[in-house]
Amino acid sequence: MSLIAMAWRYLMFRWLVSLLTASSIALGVALICGVVALRHEAESALSRDAGLYDLVVGGKGSPLQLVLSSVYHLDSPTGNIDFTEYERLRRDSRVLWAAPIALGDNYAGYRIVGTEAHFFDLPGREGNGRFFELARGGIYKDPFEVVLGSYVANATGLEIGDTFFGTHGLVDLPGAEVHQDFPYKVSGILAPTGTAQDRAIFGSLASVWEIHETEERIHSAIQGSALLGSRRERQATAILIRLKAPGLRLWMADEIRKRTEGIAAIPINEIMRFQRGIIDPVQRALLVIASAVVAVSCLSCLLTLHQAAERRRRDIAILRSLGGSRLEVASLVFLEGVILTGGGVALGLALGHGGLALAAGPIRDATGLVVQSWRMPTSELLALGAIAFCGSVASLLPAISCYRRTPIEDLHLTE
Amino acid sequence: MIRLRDVRLSLGDPAHGSCARFQLPSFEVDQGEAVALTGPSGCGKSTLINLIAGLRRPEEGEVNVAGADLGVLRPSQLDRHRGAHCGMVFQTFHLLAPFTAVENVAIGLRIGGMRKVAIRERAREVLERVGLGHRLNARPDQLSVGERQRVSIARAVAGKASILLADEPTGSLDPQTGRDVFFLLREVAAEEGRCLLLVTHDSALASDMPRRFDCSGLVQRSGDPQRKEKVAR
Repeated sequence: MSLIAMAWRYLMFRWLVSLLTASSIALGVALICGVVALRHEAESALSRDAGLYDLVVGGKGSPLQLVLSSVYHLDSPTGNIDFTEYERLRRDSRVLWAAPIALGDNYAGYRIVGTEAHFFDLPGREGNGRFFELARGGIYKDPFEVVLGSYVANATGLEIGDTFFGTHGLVDLPGAEVHQDFPYKVSGILAPTGTAQDRAIFGSLASVWEIHETEERIHSAIQGSALLGSRRERQATAILIRLKAPGLRLWMADEIRKRTEGIAAIPINEIMRFQRGIIDPVQRALLVIASAVVAVSCLSCLLTLHQAAERRRRDIAILRSLGGSRLEVASLVFLEGVILTGGGVALGLALGHGGLALAAGPIRDATGLVVQSWRMPTSELLALGAIAFCGSVASLLPAISCYRRTPIEDLHLTE
Repeated sequence: MIRLRDVRLSLGDPAHGSCARFQLPSFEVDQGEAVALTGPSGCGKSTLINLIAGLRRPEEGEVNVAGADLGVLRPSQLDRHRGAHCGMVFQTFHLLAPFTAVENVAIGLRIGGMRKVAIRERAREVLERVGLGHRLNARPDQLSVGERQRVSIARAVAGKASILLADEPTGSLDPQTGRDVFFLLREVAAEEGRCLLLVTHDSALASDMPRRFDCSGLVQRSGDPQRKEKVAR
């Protein structure tokens, strides 16, 4: 019987204490894994989305709000900006790609984003091909055709050729006005992108304008107010821009701010500021709590092993009387600790990442963040290394105590 | 096989006022010899056993066991020597509670350095020899006290140790079981020409042994007016 098998048998002999100790280690590890992995995934997911566009131009308001509403499909838009500004920007020689978006409606809580067909020509971030790929169908040709993000298609079950009605507003509220006269028809479904774009429905800009201008006319007629005599100046909720060189961001943003009534936000800067200001302190606090749990778990492991070694003084002495060396009996006690710690870490990893996998759906629904639950960032590996080190130290202390003991007095202990 | 000369050893802890001195001028046992160690409690019987097993080191004198001077061996060499040459049987059996009978014997063999493939077979064989072929997979708490002591004997003899050291092996058993265990020990010791040193308070069992060594007076407590030196043989 190998030393590992013996150590395992001793652990199983007092299985409840072993299970509780491993569970307390697992809890700390799960917390650390969850916090570290979530932090890393949130960072990379936020950066992934924010990196799609160099600039976002919108109505006056908070730059962060503008980015959240037009890039992440969260929060309310800041206001509108004249469509002529988009036409001017598109002609700018420094702009690689630009697309206007118009918001106002949703279907089952998923925002309907009015844009132009060349929105789907957005280049990949590395300059390789296009960012959007169609999984099925094609880009809309008629004004009331739409392309679904992959998550929307899965969540709603809509297929190519299906029709639905948009609801007024950016969130799904009971009693909200349904645009019954303007059915949308699904023309295509996008391949998953791992960004918030998977949670949007893309239609033509013309459809959004038509629905809302018609609604305005009806509301005006009901209220008896005069209809607008001439066609109003058309507006967009925001303009998304990819520049030929990221280094132009600050200059362009400054120019736009001076020239228009609106604002120009650099998504990656806003998101970094948001992370440092709000997310990081919360995550640091969670990390401190998780580290405290791990420290308590390691102490508990040390206590358990110490008590086990004390209870087993007689057994250790018997092994020595049979010819077992100090090193062998110390190794046996050390191995018990290593198995306990290793088991706790493995269980914690499964709990942490399993919990993250379970939470990935709700996180995506609530925030649009796509979390890759089973990826282990370097920071998590470092944290696990630190836990394994603490566990080994906790195992080493009772092992050293056993190494130093002489068997003679312990042989007279009774069972 | 066993030779002790002018052995002196302090016992107890002077800091706690319990100072005693073990002193043995000479003691020898030949190969295959069976010796009963007798004497009142605390007279030094177990200390003698522990010196021979290398669990204690003398402060002065020589302890030579199976050709090795234990006084010059390093701790790790002493452990190996004990595993190779001495099989120990204790009053309270000292079996490892989480393991079955066959595993208890196998662990002894593993620690003694036997090859892995042969261990299980040898453990089974020796347990069958002591009449426990039907109890191989029973844990100590599932065995009677007599059976436990048989497992303990099996463990002691499984590794082919040339010396059997039995410290009151019948002390926890009823008289009949005690006699059975005693005769079993005699038999397994005689089968392969092992030395048997058996500590006992039972004068009837001691008188059944071919040689008897009275340990009275080996340990002198501080303030003890008598200082008795014994010479065996």
